[in-house]
Amino acid sequence: MKICPHCGTENREGVYFCEACARALEENIEDRTRTVKLQGNSTEMSGKATWGTARFGSEAAIIIHIRDAAEPLVLHPAVRTVLGRADTTSKQQPDLDLTPFGALEKGVSRIHAAIERSEDTLTIVDMGSVNGTHLNGQRLIPEQPRVLRDGDEIRFGKLVTHIYFK
Amino acid sequence: MDLNNNPYNILGVATNASTEEIKTAYRNAARRFHPDVNPNNPGAIAQFQEITAAYEILIDSGQREKLNQTLAKKNEDDKYQFTLQITPSRKIIETLPESQVIYMLAEARPDSRARHLKEEKETRLNLTLVLDHSNSMSGTRLDKVKIAAHQIIDQLDENDIISVVIFNDRAETIIPATPVNDKASLKAKISIMQASGATAIYSGLSNGVEQNRQYAGPKLVNHIILLTDGNTYGDEEASLELAREVAAEGISISAMGLGQEWNDQFLDELASITGGTCTYINSANAVVRFLNDSVRNLVNAFADRLRISIATDPDIELESAFKLSPHPQPLSIENGYIPLGNLQHDRKVSVLFQLQLPPNIPEGTYSIARLQMSGDILANHNHNFQAISDIQLGVQKDPPPEEPPMPILDALGKLTLYRMQESAKEALATGNIQEATRRLENLASRLLAMGEEDLATQALEEARRVAHTLNLSEKGSKILKFQTRLLLDSSNEDHNS
Repeated sequence: MKICPHCGTENREGVYFCEACARALEENIEDRTRTVKLQGNSTEMSGKATWGTARFGSEAAIIIHIRDAAEPLVLHPAVRTVLGRADTTSKQQPDLDLTPFGALEKGVSRIHAAIERSEDTLTIVDMGSVNGTHLNGQRLIPEQPRVLRDGDEIRFGKLVTHIYFK
Repeated sequence: MDLNNNPYNILGVATNASTEEIKTAYRNAARRFHPDVNPNNPGAIAQFQEITAAYEILIDSGQREKLNQTLAKKNEDDKYQFTLQITPSRKIIETLPESQVIYMLAEARPDSRARHLKEEKETRLNLTLVLDHSNSMSGTRLDKVKIAAHQIIDQLDENDIISVVIFNDRAETIIPATPVNDKASLKAKISIMQASGATAIYSGLSNGVEQNRQYAGPKLVNHIILLTDGNTYGDEEASLELAREVAAEGISISAMGLGQEWNDQFLDELASITGGTCTYINSANAVVRFLNDSVRNLVNAFADRLRISIATDPDIELESAFKLSPHPQPLSIENGYIPLGNLQHDRKVSVLFQLQLPPNIPEGTYSIARLQMSGDILANHNHNFQAISDIQLGVQKDPPPEEPPMPILDALGKLTLYRMQESAKEALATGNIQEATRRLENLASRLLAMGEEDLATQALEEARRVAHTLNLSEKGSKILKFQTRLLLDSSNEDHNS
């Protein structure tokens, strides 16, 4: 059975689009079938990829936009913030619990990844999660930290987030 | 013996199969196709009879030898064929304690060697036009119909047969079925049509059927085009009954609804029973193009009376079938045979099936269904040619991840939109205004996400109308229904040629 992440309707296994709200039940399917008709002048869209700053000041906070969540999360990161899915049966609990954002259905591990803070940068490290952590579409090698920049996309399993520095 | 029914294919064995293999194949087939397990599926019962006949030939060594010789000779004629290709949404499924859904895309194409035939061969057409000339047709509408009918006559020649019936509350045959020889006098008969009276479809249709039957035969494309702009009252059932009758005789009906005041559900059903199409014509100006296009498609047919039958394992349920191309439309699955109209030289016919699998299937590999496409190949008068495909499915405890095939995903993404407007109408019919509004709004936002701005606006407008007036507009309702179907068409162009 698949629960629609958009409207909560139960769909049978093997169904790809929710029978109640017509949206894709999995994000990669939504991505694959997105056929947006370009309106107007398409050359305007050939902008260059831009990089956000990697500098993270001592008073700064991270705004985490989780796809389909109503409100973004604001995080004042400690030296190490573990992200994952809280589960009463396991000993170690994450610092940031992603359960309210459909972590279970989206394949987020109990201990998935950590955001670590040093001098004036932030790094992300995958902690051997089952479904992996993707930074801007690239899968991270477990236990190998990568620097985070303003505007980066991080995907935990199938849970998509965008982070902004404030 | 009918050469199209190659016993090796029917039984699903190799031409060098041993007697033991043939017996095993027959036992397996019997388990699935036997009338005892398919009491309500005439398609499966007919398939079983063929399987038994094939088996009896193959276990008799004398008959089998004779068969091998005939088959060798038949290879020369192979270019006049079509192929059937089946793509399932998943090849291996997980064994689960709950029901699961699997989709199957069936595509028929003429043999690639047949494509050049398009230039050299002429398809003979037995065409009947059944034209509404009720009062509401007066003015531009009737003028455009006359122009279109004149152009159709110009498209045809003395090998084709035409008949024209006009109707309002009663029907009149203005051109009895005749070869298209004297074009000028045929056109003159159409020119004198005048608008008057009300619309009664059955009388027009039954006159049209009578004319078409005079020449109808397996060598021709036998087709009736019904064009109307009005609702008919009280004769819908009789018309549908007549459509079922002519479908069995190899005559198909296309319905064209002009303007807003016609019953799209009725005409949709009328056409799809026969494998024909139902078209919504928004403006009188489009009549000429729609009529001409539909006749051109008939003239270009490679095969006609195409139909598909599906026999599944008894515990597998066929939930729906939808024709994706050409001319997307829902298909009726009541009967074991699904009529699909004709197959063009350069366009595939594709159908998407939705099946429900039972819970707790043990691990293993299964043959879950057999699909059989049949049709009359017009070029060499090869009647009831058949292509068969058996569908295998693996069931495992922990199957490897599988990307669903893109054509299926693409079709489903759009089909869901068509279904959404249907379910909004269902909610409305049961008086659930809130649900109907919500579904229309959902539809609007999905359409917008696809860049279909005009259609999205229409959906939103109808959502607002439902909230206020508790009903859809006739126009909006038809636009949403037929335009969401058309979304499927653009995604299904065949790029293989």
